[in-house]
Amino acid sequence: MRELVIAVEKISKTYGSGESAVTAIKEATFEIYSGETVALLGPSGSGKTTLITMIGCITEPTTGKLTLNGNLMYEGGWKVNDTRQIRREKIGFIFQTHNLIPFLNVLENVTLIPQMNGIKKSEADQKAKDLLDYLGVGDKITKFPSHLSGGQSQRVAIARSLANNPKIILADEPTAALDADRALSVMRLLKKLSIEQEVAIVVVTHDERMLPLFDRILRVEDGYVQEIIQQHTTEYSQE
Amino acid sequence: MINLAARDIAHSKGKFITTALGVGMLIGVVLIMIGVYRGMVHDAMIVPNDIGPDLWVVQKDTLGPFAENSRLHEDLKYSLKGFLGVKDVYPLTFQSLQIHQGVKPIRVYALGYEAGGGFEPFTLIEGRAIAITHREIIVDKNTGFKLNDQIKLGRNIYTVVGMTRKAVSSGGDPMIYLDLSEAQELQFLFSNEQIRNDRARGGNGGSTDTVNTFAITLQSGFEPESVAKEIRRWKHQEVYTAQEQSGILTKNLIERSAKQIGMFTVILLIVSSVIISLIIYTMTMGKIKEIAILKLIGASNFIIIKMIALQSLLLGIMAFIGGNLFAHASANLFPKTVILIPTDALKLFVVVIIVSILASLSGIRSALRIEPATAIGG
Repeated sequence: MRELVIAVEKISKTYGSGESAVTAIKEATFEIYSGETVALLGPSGSGKTTLITMIGCITEPTTGKLTLNGNLMYEGGWKVNDTRQIRREKIGFIFQTHNLIPFLNVLENVTLIPQMNGIKKSEADQKAKDLLDYLGVGDKITKFPSHLSGGQSQRVAIARSLANNPKIILADEPTAALDADRALSVMRLLKKLSIEQEVAIVVVTHDERMLPLFDRILRVEDGYVQEIIQQHTTEYSQE
Repeated sequence: MINLAARDIAHSKGKFITTALGVGMLIGVVLIMIGVYRGMVHDAMIVPNDIGPDLWVVQKDTLGPFAENSRLHEDLKYSLKGFLGVKDVYPLTFQSLQIHQGVKPIRVYALGYEAGGGFEPFTLIEGRAIAITHREIIVDKNTGFKLNDQIKLGRNIYTVVGMTRKAVSSGGDPMIYLDLSEAQELQFLFSNEQIRNDRARGGNGGSTDTVNTFAITLQSGFEPESVAKEIRRWKHQEVYTAQEQSGILTKNLIERSAKQIGMFTVILLIVSSVIISLIIYTMTMGKIKEIAILKLIGASNFIIIKMIALQSLLLGIMAFIGGNLFAHASANLFPKTVILIPTDALKLFVVVIIVSILASLSGIRSALRIEPATAIGG
């Protein structure tokens, strides 16, 4: 049974005040369930990143209500819960560039969050090794990010985002720095994870070729969020 | 939990070590400055300690013989010996001289004492004490002379018969030792023309029976203060105990130099803390993205503060170690005595730790202001 993991209710974000105020997101309302892959689509400057950072509790909404995995995070522009804790325990992030910590090796990058969550090192190491093996970079655990290719780095970043058994993965253009084949492979991997591990995955993307892989697509334009397509696919299994 | 500070340092070892060595040299200079001060105090006390009297008798109303000029008649010795509790009285002269070793001029400090009487205000490392009071001299090794060298002093040639090591005046000039009568001649004997002129004026033609001070040792059981009080009362001269003389030397004579060094030390410490602060700030600013990522993935402020503060502390500790090595390696290259003592190093270590913690504050403040959205360009 699918659980409601992201509940966004009339959420808005306004930057600045007075005449110079700009509203990036206008009263967005939607829900995302576990195991769903949702694309945030829209032109540059449409507010996609603002929306995903609000869902990730990085940017505070000006108004509205945000509930993550049953925890009320924001209401009426006020922070209600510990946002860092929810990010550490329930959310995995994947960025356009891999954004790994350059002075930590692959294994340390992946085990950092579990260790921050109080998981024993040996346990965190084993989980990280399993994830890295699963993602095909198990032989790179002692390498530093600067010694990895773009695709390998992005796989390590995905492993890191999964290391804390998140309920939500937020990905901001995770395939932008990859060639078409690798981009498709990463997206298929995310799709597979969402189904196998029942993770809700929200992906900001420009790449319309990826759209068939998503369960739902939310178009963001001029601050308004609108669901435009709803589809079901098992395309990842075509690999 | 992964030690982020140690990992970051290990990842950029070369940069970190170079930075620590740079700061370390500054800390080393601070240590050397303190060592120079210690050396000054030590040097100032070498001659008084070698002489080792209980009392110093000097000209009334002066701080002699080291801090001010003092002249006393030599025959005062006999009446001083008559005071209750006085064991021995040693008349002494002191004067600065410039001698030549070949063409090289050397500043020396000459001590005249009654040779042959068993009183030896020096520690010989080579040769012997002055045996006959005729043109024999003892010199410190730092003068560059060797045994049997000939040295011209005033009108006469002296032969080096003994050597001392690290015997210097409060000004850092190497010591030479002469028989009292020859030292008096050197200091107080006028030229023949001057004597003639003085006689024509009705003067005595320049008596040399003058000394700068009397060093007095006391019999056991006598308090220096009470004997000094009696001498002051009956002989109308100034009398200092060994402790008072030490105070005059360390306070009056080198006080300004000590303050000067103290100011340098404080300035260097401020410069060091500003530099450590700037380095930590720059190191932190160089990690904006990484700190933003850490915040984004939920790292607490404590983890970030710990990372920056630990790096600052490690920088301070490494710089302190480097500074110590630098100071010890270069201390002997200085022309004057530099004394490095563990207590000073320990105090400086505490200061470095405090400075490192304070220096990390600007970096921590900046790090805490970094928005996690920076990691995704938001």
